[in-house]
Parts: sequence; structure tokens; C-alpha cells
Amino acid sequence: MEIDTTTDAENGSLVLVKQGAEARVFESVFVGKRSIVKERFSKKYRHPTLDSKLTVKRLNAEARCMTKARRLGVSTPVLYAVDPVLHSLTFEYVEGPSVKDIFLEFGLTGVVQERLDDIATQIGDAIGKLHDGGLVHGDLTTSNMLIRNETNQLVLIDFGLSFTSTLPEDKAVDLYVLERALISMHSSCGNVMDRILAAYKKSSKQWSSTFNKLGQVRLRGRKRTMVG
Amino acid sequence: MKIFEINGNTLSLALFVDVTNSKELLDSMQAGTLDPEVAFLNASLIPDVFPVLAAAHKTLISKSRESLTTRTLHSELVYNYSGSKHITESLKRCGISETSSYVLAARFNASPDEMKAVEKLINGKEMDLEELERRADQAQIQKHYKISSPELGVSTLADAIVCRIAARDAL
Repeated sequence: MEIDTTTDAENGSLVLVKQGAEARVFESVFVGKRSIVKERFSKKYRHPTLDSKLTVKRLNAEARCMTKARRLGVSTPVLYAVDPVLHSLTFEYVEGPSVKDIFLEFGLTGVVQERLDDIATQIGDAIGKLHDGGLVHGDLTTSNMLIRNETNQLVLIDFGLSFTSTLPEDKAVDLYVLERALISMHSSCGNVMDRILAAYKKSSKQWSSTFNKLGQVRLRGRKRTMVG
Repeated sequence: MKIFEINGNTLSLALFVDVTNSKELLDSMQAGTLDPEVAFLNASLIPDVFPVLAAAHKTLISKSRESLTTRTLHSELVYNYSGSKHITESLKRCGISETSSYVLAARFNASPDEMKAVEKLINGKEMDLEELERRADQAQIQKHYKISSPELGVSTLADAIVCRIAARDAL
């Protein structure tokens, strides 16, 4: 008989990693594996009943979207647990840098073209798969994309704003948000968006209607104009 | 057998092949006369211990909140492992049946004596838990958990099961 002792050392201990407007992110250990806990906190200015309903609804939506993305063949962290009482999600700790950090590094020390192309292709391919499966990420920025250390595989994170939609409008806005983020953060990397869109075109069967809409969205911005 | 620690509790797991008395085990389990109480899982559906531990974690949390869905702690483990909300169907598919010969026995917070008693209950040959991966029935797992091939391109079988166990109540 042997006892697995590796699991108990840090069990239950939480280390704060990041705090946002909607949630706090902790590092922890889940039955022996390094994990991330995302806890949505309550908003004191809301009525308690409404607050708890909204929080649980968003928690469940995030869990659903994350697992749906995996079913579509897009890598996301493994979901370990959902706790509707503590309003928390526990998932796999992905070892590796964010695409944001990699691109910023390129800006400082020069672009490694091969690596840039590989990442851009993976991004376009992943978004194409999501969109064809009717899933819109809602917050595509380079800080919500990680590159797994051992495999160099792209992992999408933070499905907190994701929703299901088949409308070209929603998909176009999804791409547009990423385009704006790339222009403002990573202009020194050259035109990454073109490569992403080329890969998207290959991966999504419905690329044509999305690209049409994207043209319109570029002219007017993310929000629909209510004039006229 | 092996003992795992989960949030201050333990889960003891023992794997058996060539089990010949599964009908008796099923009968005494259904009559509630199994002593000590233990969970029997259909090991063909288990490619790794981690999904079992994730299901056990979920079970212990429900227990601590007195919100078990099934009648006992150990049936809850089988139900949680199934990743489905249908209790009868879960226990049938992920639990033991009259004809099963490949079984994983699990007990929470078991004393060494109790695990010895469990090993005595089962007429079969005990195997190392490492065997799970080699003996798992991939086709059956994919069918039960509805795991598509694009998903297996980015995930292991075990991770796909863990996601379904965790996300069940969110669906």
C-alpha cells in the first residue's frame, strides 16, 4: 500500500494572480495538479438575489463556452470544477507565455518571422473553427491567448464574454476587436492581422460573409450606428 | 491499491480483472447490505485515475453541503463520474452490471482493514492502476461521453472526460 502524498502540500491554498472588474484569479492545486481558480465576486451595489442569479448564469455560460470550444477542436484549459456556491471555476494551469508577451518581446528584440507566422496561423485557424461552430469569443486580445511551453500550441482563455451566435455581424466584430488590439499593442510586429485572416479564410467555410461584414464594421466601428 | 488525498479526505482505489461474482456484488449493493460500503465503477470507461479524482472531489463538496443527488456517498461517485444527469442510466453504464468482469472499487476514508474487506468481497485478480490506460475501451468512452475527433486533436481522452464531469451542472 502506498500513499500519494504529492497532493496535500499546497491543497486549499490560494495565491492571488490577478484581479479584474468581474473576477479574481488565483493559483491553487486541484487534486494534485497545479490549477487556476477564477472566482466571480458579488457586486454589492446590486440586489442580492439578482446579483447571485447573474453571477451563476455567467459562471455557467463561461463553463459551457469553454467546453464547447474544445469540442470544436480549439484548445482551452481543461475545466476541473464548477462551484455555483462559491461562484468559482477551477481549471488547468497552462505553462507558457501569453501571445501578448511574445509579441511585445518581438517589438523589443526583433521579430522571429517563423514563430510569428506560426502563431498567427494558429490564431486564425482557431477563430475560424470557433465561428463555424457558432461560438463567438467576445474578448479576443493577445493577453487572452497562451502558447503552451512543450507543444507551442495556442490555448484560448477567458470565455467570460463568449456567447453563441451564427450572425456574420457578431463574428466580424469579434475579428475587429482583435484587429484593433493588434494595431494598438503590436504595431511593431508588422501586419499580423493579414496572416490571421488568411488562416481564418482557410479554416472557416463561412469566411466570405464574415469578411464582407468586417469591411462594414471597419468603417463604422464596433458599435452599430443608430442614426437613420 | 492506492490511496489519494482529496481536500483532507482520502479515496482508496483498487482495480480488478476477471471478476466472477459481479452479480452477487450488484445484488448486495442494491440491497444495501454491502459491508463496507464501496463504489464499483465500470473500469472500461476509465482511461486514467484523474477523472475519478475529479468526480470524487465533486462528490465530497456535495457531501459537505449535504446536497447529494443520489442516496449514498458512493453511488454519488459513480453518478458524478458518468458526466450525465440521468441517475439510473449513469449507474447502469458507469457502475457494475451482472456481467462485468473489469471493475474499479473505490471507497472514501477507508481504513486498511476495510480495504482488505473490500478485496475479499471481490472474486478477481487485482491489477496495478497503471493498467487503466491500456485496458480502457476508447470507442465506448467516445460514445458514452460524446467525444468527437476534433476534440481528441487538442485533448486527451481523460481531459475530455474531466471537462464533462465538471461542466455537467452548468449545461
